[in-house]
Amino acid sequence: MGDGRVLMDQILASLIQGHSVLGLANAEGLAPKSVLEACVFATVLIGFVGIILKRNLMMKTLAMDVMSTGVIAFYVLVAARPGLFTPILAEDGDIAYADPVPQAVILTAIVIGFSIQALMLVGVMKLARDNPTLETSEIERSHTP
Amino acid sequence: MTTITVAWIALPLFIGFSGYLLPRAGRQLALGVALSSLVYSLFVILEDLSFTLELLDNFGVTLMVDSLSGFFILTNALVTAAVVLYCWQQNKSKFFYTQTVILHGCVNAVFVCADLISLYVALEVIGIAVFLLIAYPRTDRSIWIALRYLFVSNTAMLFYLLGAALVYQHSRSFAFTALQTAPMDAIALLFVGLLTKGGIFISGLWLPLTHSESETPVSALLSGVVVKSGIFPLARFALMFPDIDPLVRFFGVGTALLGVGYAVFEKDTKRMLAFHTVSQLGFVLAAPEVGGFYALTHGLVKSALFLAAGNLPSRNLKVLHHEPMSRSVWVALAIASFSISGFPLLSGFGAKVLTMKNLLPWQVVGMNVAALGTAISFAKFIFLPSSSDDKSPVKPGFWAAMVLLLGGLVFANVVYYEAYTLGNTVKPLVTIGVGWAAYFVIFRRVSLKLPRVVEQFDHLIGVMSLLLMLLFGMVLA
Repeated sequence: MGDGRVLMDQILASLIQGHSVLGLANAEGLAPKSVLEACVFATVLIGFVGIILKRNLMMKTLAMDVMSTGVIAFYVLVAARPGLFTPILAEDGDIAYADPVPQAVILTAIVIGFSIQALMLVGVMKLARDNPTLETSEIERSHTP
Repeated sequence: MTTITVAWIALPLFIGFSGYLLPRAGRQLALGVALSSLVYSLFVILEDLSFTLELLDNFGVTLMVDSLSGFFILTNALVTAAVVLYCWQQNKSKFFYTQTVILHGCVNAVFVCADLISLYVALEVIGIAVFLLIAYPRTDRSIWIALRYLFVSNTAMLFYLLGAALVYQHSRSFAFTALQTAPMDAIALLFVGLLTKGGIFISGLWLPLTHSESETPVSALLSGVVVKSGIFPLARFALMFPDIDPLVRFFGVGTALLGVGYAVFEKDTKRMLAFHTVSQLGFVLAAPEVGGFYALTHGLVKSALFLAAGNLPSRNLKVLHHEPMSRSVWVALAIASFSISGFPLLSGFGAKVLTMKNLLPWQVVGMNVAALGTAISFAKFIFLPSSSDDKSPVKPGFWAAMVLLLGGLVFANVVYYEAYTLGNTVKPLVTIGVGWAAYFVIFRRVSLKLPRVVEQFDHLIGVMSLLLMLLFGMVLA
């Protein structure tokens, strides 16, 4: 398990820093950073499509969470552009720090995101009492005047 | 001024949370907060202040106060005060007032902030507070409506957040000024978020159900000020960047026509008012430089109309034709309807003249059609029967709210008294005349029921992707 994790870390770090991973990305002629960026946008898109296509209200809520995970990952990626090191001021010279601003900002957004998620799940729970299947179309039909 | 501004922004949040701990002082505190905003906004407008604050340093919160924000804050103050007065004797719980005060504070924050992230935070907190206000009765329907609202608004805000990240990536700043050099896709993403939150054009189709199914005071708050939190940043962008201006004006005309197109055929009072909100927001965006004044008159009128519509014997216009309402409610309804149709002596007239004067040539036809549609749809209210015997007396708070809102409408005439020239006065009267004629000849008889399929939840989300395509097409063209 531990080894796998280290490997994952290495792959991620090299992706972000722009080295090729196992020759994969460069063989395709793509910059590795854009591979990661494409994955992040794919996550956002998958979440968005999930909100539309899933019928169960619970699944829709979770799909929205996937979408917000994608957005958060994008902020982390933007923060990692200048470098990967934690931005703590040190004496020794030129270090490629990560940009702290997007990280700080996305921390706020994460908090807001999960509180909204919690609120929505409470709403879903309340609705589940009278609509046990939680099918959105059914709930909608019974509550549109 | 810095200290006053910061204290004024922090006050509602402080009062909101601490007021929850105090026994039975919720409504007084809420009214006090609204009054503080009233004083602040009048000060800003009368002194014609305009300043930018940067709290902390480069990456801190940026605030920008000018007369545009002054008018929006004034709207917020008057509408909140009216709603609190309306609820004064209704035994609303502390929870209701807490949410109202927090909502008031966040809407104020939107009207003064000048960076993308403060805007994001304020808009999201507005979403939460509105969710709690709509779900307050805790029936299944209210929970579903609230959930639907929060879902749509949160998804839109995720697009917005993505746009904000792109802006930062490009210019290393979240301030509004960074949009100058921002890539076009960032602007498209930001617009999807704000247009949806503000209930504009096709992305605003979530609004009619939400606003019509909420409780009366909540509807008044939502239509009066909360939707304006989405359109204020759009107006601000349009004023700051000439490139964005045509985009905002286009959506203004589009939403004005779409909303009024639905409103003329609607037979349900509250739904008609809600569709009309979609339309009137278009007038604010069609001429952003004078949008503040239009937003003020619309906020006053629409909350008055929603409060009055909540005191009618029925929501169905057909039933209301046979069941006379009380004469006094009719008077309030008629005054508000006259103002929104642009009848002289009320400030809706001045706002309409001012907006029409600031249109670009390609907008004129569309906006005049929208004004005609407004006259048609409010003829439905004006020509309802009324009787002097009071079967169901209205709540006492209703009159206090009406005096404040309608008094504000008359008083706001002073902002643009130059509007009263012969030429200016004739045109709205002709529009109203034609509108009433069209009402009696055509619209009174037709009963066309427009399909509601586009208001289904999945379509509301799907429309965002269409809007995104449209925006990409527009900004790249």
